[in-house]
Amino acid sequence: MPKVYNWQIGREMEYPYEPARPAKQFAMVMDLNKCIACQTCTVACKTNWTPGRGQEYMFWNNVESKPYGFYPLGWDVKILEKHGVQDASGPVYKGKTLFEAAPEGERVLGYLPDDLDYAHPNVGEDDSLGDMPQGDYITIPHMQWMYYLPRICNHCTYPACLGSCPRQSIYKRPEDGIVLLDQARCRGYRECVKGCPYKKTYFNPVTRVSEKCIGCYPAVENGYQTQCTVSCIGKIRLQGFITTPDKAREDNPLDYLIHVAKIAKPLYPQFGLEANVYYIPPVHVPLPFLSQMFGHGVPEAIATYRRAKDDEKLLGALLLFGSTPRIIHRFKVEAGTAIGFDEQGDEVSRVPIKEPIHIRPAYDERHEVYRSNTT
Amino acid sequence: MQIKRLQVLAILAGAFAALFAAPLGAQDLVLSAIPLSGSAGPLVDPDAAYWRDAPAIKVEMLPQNITNPQNPDPAVKELNVRAAHNGQWLAFLIEWADPTKSDRIVVDQFGDQVAVEMPSAYKPGDMPNPMMGAPGERMHIMQWRAAFQHDIETSGEPKISDLYPYIHVDVYPDEVLRATDARAYTGAVGVDNPISRPKRSAVLDQMAEGFGTLTVEPEQQSDGRGIWADGRWRVVITHPMAPGDPNDPSLGPGDQTLAAFAVWEGGAREVGARKAWSNWVQLKVETGHQ
Repeated sequence: MPKVYNWQIGREMEYPYEPARPAKQFAMVMDLNKCIACQTCTVACKTNWTPGRGQEYMFWNNVESKPYGFYPLGWDVKILEKHGVQDASGPVYKGKTLFEAAPEGERVLGYLPDDLDYAHPNVGEDDSLGDMPQGDYITIPHMQWMYYLPRICNHCTYPACLGSCPRQSIYKRPEDGIVLLDQARCRGYRECVKGCPYKKTYFNPVTRVSEKCIGCYPAVENGYQTQCTVSCIGKIRLQGFITTPDKAREDNPLDYLIHVAKIAKPLYPQFGLEANVYYIPPVHVPLPFLSQMFGHGVPEAIATYRRAKDDEKLLGALLLFGSTPRIIHRFKVEAGTAIGFDEQGDEVSRVPIKEPIHIRPAYDERHEVYRSNTT
Repeated sequence: MQIKRLQVLAILAGAFAALFAAPLGAQDLVLSAIPLSGSAGPLVDPDAAYWRDAPAIKVEMLPQNITNPQNPDPAVKELNVRAAHNGQWLAFLIEWADPTKSDRIVVDQFGDQVAVEMPSAYKPGDMPNPMMGAPGERMHIMQWRAAFQHDIETSGEPKISDLYPYIHVDVYPDEVLRATDARAYTGAVGVDNPISRPKRSAVLDQMAEGFGTLTVEPEQQSDGRGIWADGRWRVVITHPMAPGDPNDPSLGPGDQTLAAFAVWEGGAREVGARKAWSNWVQLKVETGHQ
């Protein structure tokens, strides 16, 4: 099997195809501290792309509660259990990737979900870990925890769906790294459904072929961020392009957050797919859980994130989330303002680092009334 | 690169299998397509009386173990095959034991399938790779699918309300948009994917030049029908003998060619490369009329 370099695990690994990085790589950063699971992204994606026949239970974007929420049911604990305990303690991963752990006769270690695993897309919603015994009272930080994990296709650098398909029906676009599933070529073998550890390819029982998130490529081609990003009312997402660490550009907001500030981490990097959706870990969740999910460097990421209020550049990058529907290729912070630019260098976003404070007197002289805080 | 290497490996392995590793005598197995008189048109009836006159051969089925993914222990070990022709149509009656009839397809359910492969252009003495051919060695592959037959015999293409009787859906785009606007939401149906589009036949005419190259032919002529009873499938696959298509073999009485078979047990989740295949058998199109 050819060898490819995966920077997320700090080493070369086996992959069914020769390395071929795209000219640009689609990527997204999601701040899990800000997600409230309103599912606006889910609905935006659903109404845009999957309202058709056979897509009734198909959510290219979903938001699940962790640790007890899953879509499909148990997706991550099932593959983690198959994967077994792996050594992911350092920047160089010592365990096996899912390609390296593939059993004889398979291209990747995976499993095919049951049909009913998709039947309850929001199972486990808001369930927290830990009991609240009689007489106990809430202390800070809370003894119980849960958080929301929004998920789309990770448009991996080394997609397992692509690697599993015996017909090469799945391809990674050389121009932007978006991973697409050819609706004319697929024959519905479901090798990709089995192979993708994130379970982000879906089988359509009406067309009898598989489908997946298209990274809103018609928008991305025109310089716009994906629908799940622009519809996010919590402004938790920033979609753009990422480069490899050796070519990281500090003025690219995604490169800055991922490679420079290192506050955003990939989902289950130990799988070896070099997933391109990056998460800012929730600060209140126990580290062992977060380290399993986001790899090494989580404590440092959280410490840096907590310092963001004192770091104008980092704060500026974070404030660009949800500030424009355009894809931000470059940003700068000057005079207390974060400014984002598109690919042509035109300004597309301008956000004050500190919102100006307006103080209204309690008595409104013009209307001769007292103002009230109730509306 | 890896794929090319795999193809080369597959060709070498195929040649090796054909020469040495094949079940002894597989090349000598002769399937006689008996001539039928008094019949015209496609031969699609597995219950037709003439099948009693057609000699049966037992074809040993082997695991596809050249390319990944694979199933090292496929469920079907043997096919019982007969052949007949009426001068216009050639037909195979293929029978095998299958305890489960699988024609409902959802994410974790797969369909029963069987396929006949013949070289698109055969010259006596040729010994092409039986595993879907090789570059320059084009194969014609006729694949019958239980799920396609289910569609044809019931209400057409699968409907979500048939697959999940208690489902409730408020609205679909094609109920509120013009057809041209709703097409974007039809997925593979909208791009005329042969797996998804409306079907007239349960058999797909396909061609291949090696693993991963299987392509549905533009011209669809094959037909077929299966009957599942008492834990056994009996499936007929039929094809015009003068198809007028360079991708398909053209055969007449007295001709000889090769045929190989593949079978998928949907109940055992066999699909795609996870299949059982056979080596070549000699196919003789007999002359004369009964």
